[in-house]
Amino acid sequence: MERGLLAYILIPLLSAVIIPFAARNKPRLADILANVTLLAGLSNLAYLLLNANSFAEVPGDGFSLLMVFTIYLVALCVVFFSAFFAGAMPNRQAYYCLLLTSVAAMCGVVTTSDFFTLYIYVEVLAVTSFALITTDDTSAGLEGAIKYFLLTFPASVFIIVGLSLLLLSIGSFSFESVQLFLSAGMPGGTVLFAMGLILLGFLIKSGIVPFHAWTPDAYQGSFSPVSAHLAGIVTKVSGVYAIIRISMLMRLSEGMAEALAGTLMFLGMLSIIVGAIAALRQKDLKRMLAFSSISQLGYIVLAAGLGTPLAIIAAIFHLFNHATFKTVLFLNSASLEHASGTTDMEKMGGMEHAMPWTSWTSVIALLSTAGIPPLSGFWSKLLIIIALWAGGAKVYAMLALLFSIVTLAYFMVMQKKIFFGKKSEAAETASEVSAPMLAPVVLLSAVIITVGLLFPWFYTYLVETIAKRMIL
Amino acid sequence: MINSFALDWYFIAIILFIGLYCMLVSRSLLRQLIGLEIMSKAALLAVISSGVLTNNLSLAQTVIITMIVIEVVVVATGLALLAKNFRVNKSVDIWDLKGLKG
Repeated sequence: MERGLLAYILIPLLSAVIIPFAARNKPRLADILANVTLLAGLSNLAYLLLNANSFAEVPGDGFSLLMVFTIYLVALCVVFFSAFFAGAMPNRQAYYCLLLTSVAAMCGVVTTSDFFTLYIYVEVLAVTSFALITTDDTSAGLEGAIKYFLLTFPASVFIIVGLSLLLLSIGSFSFESVQLFLSAGMPGGTVLFAMGLILLGFLIKSGIVPFHAWTPDAYQGSFSPVSAHLAGIVTKVSGVYAIIRISMLMRLSEGMAEALAGTLMFLGMLSIIVGAIAALRQKDLKRMLAFSSISQLGYIVLAAGLGTPLAIIAAIFHLFNHATFKTVLFLNSASLEHASGTTDMEKMGGMEHAMPWTSWTSVIALLSTAGIPPLSGFWSKLLIIIALWAGGAKVYAMLALLFSIVTLAYFMVMQKKIFFGKKSEAAETASEVSAPMLAPVVLLSAVIITVGLLFPWFYTYLVETIAKRMIL
Repeated sequence: MINSFALDWYFIAIILFIGLYCMLVSRSLLRQLIGLEIMSKAALLAVISSGVLTNNLSLAQTVIITMIVIEVVVVATGLALLAKNFRVNKSVDIWDLKGLKG
């Protein structure tokens, strides 16, 4: 636990305790409290990140700090959006309480420095996610939550058995001792087996392909702003963050972990392929975005499995980009649901005229996902492919490039079905959502464009401040 | 010492697979939850067994108590989901959960 970042865990938690009491009969006050908490945290973090002097005083590596910034950015957008989302939200106070608790738990996950604390925060995060998915009391939400529950619980069992093996072989759970043990070059069969079990648990929690059964159901069934929160940040932090951490540790073991790293790369590639092909034939917008999310996670896991310094930087950068563009797309799907009353892509059409802002921000986000220059997604995919090519995995590099085109294909189909084409019945009656609901989407689109255009500066920044302080 | 250790892990493996079997064959959501509970009990036994073997019992006990607390919270949330599901769908059969498809 980094003491410098502890405040970012405690303040949302405090706010989560205060909101149900202070704002019991005043829903607007709950909105304001939740937004102010996250906005204060975000502006504080932005100051820390942009000011090199204060950045140097923060302990730990820059990866944690960048992840905390991403968490606050996405959570603020989701909270601000849901304050104006006039959907069925029976209990605002409980909703904000759970959302802020999940923000606190995510900050705990990314700032911790041992596996046991990581496990505890991941479980707290899972509990808040079950409750958040069922916010609007529909049977679809319940179904998604139960499937999520039935698959993440065995994942925790695998993680606990892995932890017990770690206790058996090293006698400690901290990243540091695992790192020391692996870099000492001793035969570490038990440690690597423990790492494998922990990795298996986190692969299930992040929804990589053989274990992806829960992801589309949970995203499709849940309350719309919650699906943006889940897809944008929760599953990334509860699963992929730990995978990147473990692969950063594993590459120190001098080739002993080759089988594990190879498996990770294979599963990443499999996710890219299955996610992209499944997304091509979806009819429901949220379900399609969920499969696209699986496919993009595949890129991150593929790069993390390779484990060279460039690949790790690319994975972290893609994680950040994925958080921004997927949140835009899911928030837009919530706006569309709000305006047209459906998420079925066949029933929408010609929404471009009714909702120009939603349409254009979707275009920006989807072009970034597909990797069109100069948007941010292009640079992270380019880095991943360069790292794969340089690391000798040329077949994977070619396939990653190929499926980037498939990504563009399914997003073009989506854009044509929903926004372009003939005006449908839904488009006749729909109107653009209010300006406060557009603000988070426009903000995130601006982030995508800015990071893309200022990439040379951003890359230097990533290398100078973040990668240098990481154990690479 | 090593014999009792081997016996520990033998039982842990057996309990783990009993839980897995219970999850695989039952259709009722409640039984699935019971299977999950059995599996997680085996995992907790693994932690305490490795604590005993490495003479690190105090660390293992602290870890286990925290894990039990966490597990209670997770199971309570799971039971709440099952109860709500029973109220909405009037069924605990896992094959009735097929509303979401694509």
